[in-house]
Amino acid sequence: MEKPQLIIDGKRADGRALDELRPIKITAHVLNGADGSALVEWGNNKVLAGVYGPRECIPRHDASPYRAVVRCRYTMAPFCSLEEHGRSGPNRRSHELSKVIREAFENVVISEAYPRTQIDVYMEVLQSDGGTRCAAITAAAVALADAGIPMKDLVCAVAVGKIDGLVAVDFSKDEDNYGESDMPIAIAPRNGDVLLFQMDGNLTREELSAAMEMAYKASAKISELQAAALKAVYDGPKKEAHLVLGDKFNSQ
Amino acid sequence: MEIVNELKKDSLKRILAQGKRADGRQMLDYRKATLQQNAIPNAEGSALCHLGNTQVLAGIKFDVATPFADRPTEGVLSTNAELVPLASSTFEPGPPSPASIELARVVDRGIRSSNCIDLKSFALEEGKVLALYIDLYVLDYDGNLFDAASLAAMSALLCTRMPKIEEGKLIRKESTGKLPLSTKTVTCTFAKVDSTKLLDPSLDEEQGMDGRITIATTPQHVCAVQKGGWGAFTQKDILELVDISFDKAKGLRSILQ
Amino acid sequence: MANSIVLPGQMVSDKPARLPYCYVENNKTYATVLSLLSDDGRLVPLCGPYEPLLDDYVVSYVSEVRFSGYNININCPANAYLSGREVAQKLTVGDVLYARISAVDEIKSVELNDARLLRGGTIIEIAAAKVPRVIGKKNSMIGMISAATGCEIYVGRNGFIWVSSKGNQKLAADTIRMVEAQAHITGLTDRIKAHLDAHKAAASPAAQN
Repeated sequence: MEKPQLIIDGKRADGRALDELRPIKITAHVLNGADGSALVEWGNNKVLAGVYGPRECIPRHDASPYRAVVRCRYTMAPFCSLEEHGRSGPNRRSHELSKVIREAFENVVISEAYPRTQIDVYMEVLQSDGGTRCAAITAAAVALADAGIPMKDLVCAVAVGKIDGLVAVDFSKDEDNYGESDMPIAIAPRNGDVLLFQMDGNLTREELSAAMEMAYKASAKISELQAAALKAVYDGPKKEAHLVLGDKFNSQ
Repeated sequence: MEIVNELKKDSLKRILAQGKRADGRQMLDYRKATLQQNAIPNAEGSALCHLGNTQVLAGIKFDVATPFADRPTEGVLSTNAELVPLASSTFEPGPPSPASIELARVVDRGIRSSNCIDLKSFALEEGKVLALYIDLYVLDYDGNLFDAASLAAMSALLCTRMPKIEEGKLIRKESTGKLPLSTKTVTCTFAKVDSTKLLDPSLDEEQGMDGRITIATTPQHVCAVQKGGWGAFTQKDILELVDISFDKAKGLRSILQ
Repeated sequence: MANSIVLPGQMVSDKPARLPYCYVENNKTYATVLSLLSDDGRLVPLCGPYEPLLDDYVVSYVSEVRFSGYNININCPANAYLSGREVAQKLTVGDVLYARISAVDEIKSVELNDARLLRGGTIIEIAAAKVPRVIGKKNSMIGMISAATGCEIYVGRNGFIWVSSKGNQKLAADTIRMVEAQAHITGLTDRIKAHLDAHKAAASPAAQN
């Protein structure tokens, strides 16, 4: 495929400014079975997160007498992309992402409160359009809070980088594929700690610094949306969890 | 976990002995069923089914594939079910469990044997056919996955867009119209507890049941059946449940559009 | 609502304060769980797992019979232990108990005593964080539900609630779930009372049994 023009008259292909996020909708408590859950719809991404625990650590020899073991699993549904039918289950990419996401959450989850247990964080990408790991981290943080797991902060994440020579935030699939650099960052908004940092492509030191600034600005907005989603659960009686995804409803 | 099931079984039997169900339903009532089509616009077809607190997402994808050697001119239909670990504390990540394989195969049989999809029309050229993938994603588990998954699959097929095909390649961004379907398969699942038969068992009821039977029908035919669990059904039971299935399927078919 | 919702990481005091569900960093105090901030500056969690505490009474069940005692499921990641000497009769797997937590150590191993066997009935599971509202001030809420439904009810601090099959069990269970769903909204007692009155009047004599 030929590289599409990503920036036209200073605006991006979908009409956004360089520092503008796609529309983000966060809904907490969407599953009944899970101890905590959240859906993040971010542009065309739809990522569902569910949390179980603290529960008995299995196998037992993985348990720690000092803290809970945090486990993360990021996977993509076979029907999530516009391209061909994918394979179910994790691949090399999702194993790597699961690991770095777990390490990010190990920083904020107060795991010492639950020795000899495990906390499972499942992230399912139901629809993908660039930036799924950031949407997954943002969803998982809300799901952990919805489960009542003690944490030092709510983590949020956003990708920044460079497209058509300009630093920008929150890349769509095309921008991710044809841009010069992609840099997903997870941030603890309270103290600004960077908990996940990946980067590929080429950036000068100045560009990297400018991109990080942009990530911090965007993260403030995302963290507001996370807070609002959690507060909405307790705005009135707590309802049965119900996922809303489609555009047409039929019911009996 | 197993102990809780035993406790639940005792209280289930006590309630049923009074002719009631814990959630107040009649024996042959469905829980509220809701379908949301086009839940995943990236897929060629998709639907999210809520059946009470059970939530199942179905996604449809097309690919170009080589036909099976014994059916060289027929398209490939492939159904897979994922018991996604976030749906229940009892679902574990890893290779497909027997339960997920049974679920996929029962849904597949109902759709395949009704011939609602004309697989012959999926032939493209010598050695190339269309493959249609149905992926069933169980997201929240409160019993009766069979009916919820079948409803989700059928609803997803009903809104599936046929991709444009050029020189044996799929152009996914362009559609040549909807997937033609000749009929609608609907399944009804019953649980048997002692001699009581319940339609659409909830998770608590499934954990306390002796046996289970799923009956897939089109308006004219029974097109697939699966009996599960150790409990037995009598000949009379089965014929009675087939009659009920034909009747109950009408209501479900009305929400499949 | 008078109480405001606080989120993990949110500052609750600019001074260091050793409070439950909080941590101190750089002489400031932050919340760790989603909770309500009460007028006296304490946090009341809205959700989360059960934290076993000494002297808590829990509803539980026998999950394993051992040589000299029993492993008991108390809705925690690890089983609790009940010595055989603490109970007069032999217990079997699945027996439901109302018992007191007699010891908790730093890795949350729990021992029980003062166990009472509960026969028949059913266990309802609710969020442990909502148990205080189900009990109410001086047992007011649970007393009201019990009186209106004719059910015997044992509320465990661990979120397991046992309801006898004698009485209107369904109404009792539905009402307890209603308390759980609305625990964070003021005027709860009046709404529950109205709910019970409405359903008590509607229930037929058959449903009472």
